[in-house]
Amino acid sequence: MIYLDYAASTPVDPAVIESMAVAMAAPGNYANPSSTHSEGRYSNELIARAAGQLAELVGTSPDRLIWTSGATESDNLAILGAATYREDRGRHLVSMRTEHKAVTDPFATLAQRGFEVTWLDPDPDGRLGLDKLQSALRDDTQLVSVMHVNNETGIVQDIAGIGELCRERGVLYHVDAAQSCGKLPIDLDALPVDLMSMTAHKFYGPKGIGALYIADRKGVHVDPMLFGGGQQRRLRPGTLPTQQIVGLGETAAIATQRMAQDLEHLRTLRDRFWAGIQDLPGLIVNGSLEHGFPGILNVSAAGVEGESLLLALEPLCVATGSACNSKSQEPSYVLRALGLSDELAQAAIRFSFGRPTTEAEVDTAIALYRGAVTRLRQLAPAA
Amino acid sequence: MSADPYSDRVRALFARPEHAGTLEGGASASIDDQGVRISLSARVSDGQVEAMAFQAYGCPHLIAAAEAACAELEGRDAVELLEFAASGLMQSLSVPVEKTGRILVLEDAIRSLGRVITETQ
Repeated sequence: MIYLDYAASTPVDPAVIESMAVAMAAPGNYANPSSTHSEGRYSNELIARAAGQLAELVGTSPDRLIWTSGATESDNLAILGAATYREDRGRHLVSMRTEHKAVTDPFATLAQRGFEVTWLDPDPDGRLGLDKLQSALRDDTQLVSVMHVNNETGIVQDIAGIGELCRERGVLYHVDAAQSCGKLPIDLDALPVDLMSMTAHKFYGPKGIGALYIADRKGVHVDPMLFGGGQQRRLRPGTLPTQQIVGLGETAAIATQRMAQDLEHLRTLRDRFWAGIQDLPGLIVNGSLEHGFPGILNVSAAGVEGESLLLALEPLCVATGSACNSKSQEPSYVLRALGLSDELAQAAIRFSFGRPTTEAEVDTAIALYRGAVTRLRQLAPAA
Repeated sequence: MSADPYSDRVRALFARPEHAGTLEGGASASIDDQGVRISLSARVSDGQVEAMAFQAYGCPHLIAAAEAACAELEGRDAVELLEFAASGLMQSLSVPVEKTGRILVLEDAIRSLGRVITETQ
């Protein structure tokens, strides 16, 4: 097995596992962190330390972070929570057709509740043209959501430019950073971003824990979606999962230290892989190498059927389209928004590299991909 | 762990399709429908299918079914192609119901090949 599906999920770093084990096993760590007795205060200290670690990673202060179960919950809380909190300021919302379902589905829910959603198409390279956003913003626009790194194509959006436009118009800006948190530099104190969703399992942390950043700025607030306690300023009540939060904190601390070398490693692997396959005729990079996060390369091969390609690539673990959508035979809506035909979208494979990926694995992947594409093209009748 | 969508037989037929290709000078029929493309060719002697070959653009179940059908039909009377039914293949290959349409395209292609053969004999 060669795992090249790090955009779907990553292995938990051993140091993170160790930190979580300690958080669960050490005397007193089982205490409810909201309790005021000494044991509770100790658990709370662990959580405060983790908040500091995550805050350092993304350049903000710990009190701006709300713990959630992951990016999906963060996206829902940000979008549903901000839209309802700011409903009196307008009912127009803006997002892109290439967003993750965790963003598009809450917007669709709001549309059913009477909000108006403008869906922006990407430019051919997958990026959002700022002129398009400028044209879409209205006096009654209250929220824009555009992700940082696309989960299927790896396209990196200009979140600083988008955020500036939103600030100029008094519009809240939410960023789904599930694919970029811990992988690309993020400085929230400097960025014009109001809400940012993060998750641990995309950057070598545990599943089931994430965070939502809420900027300390007038008018930036979310209505809660859950009720039942006073934790986390009532924005996301519920007993905090100490060991999960400690795990995310440790994950963030490691990412802060390793980000530069991780990025260099990913760039080397992505470039090596592309160099090894690019001479195959009829290949299309979905998105852009120039504006792409180096951990993700999405490629379509003309004349090759996607499901057969996926099977022919075994033992490679890769994805066709979004892993969240992989049981569907429908072509990826993200790739179709980029202008791909159904056939090319269906033939797309997302290769995503990670910290543990070796050059030898990449070389094996090159050989398997070349062999599979060639064999399936030979097998297919002329179009 | 979710179930493997492919049976061992589908995996084997997909990995080593011995009937992949075309038969020069043989009868042939092609269909492009429902997102799949199938091209079949057959060499017939004295009303019997001597050899069959296929080319296919489609999912692993379709490729496996085409391979299995070619193997099954060699040695049969060519007229049997006219009545070919894919239901047995679908059962033996555990084809999921959502792929039924694709296998029926194969059935159509085989029947079409049968018509080409009988019309030219």
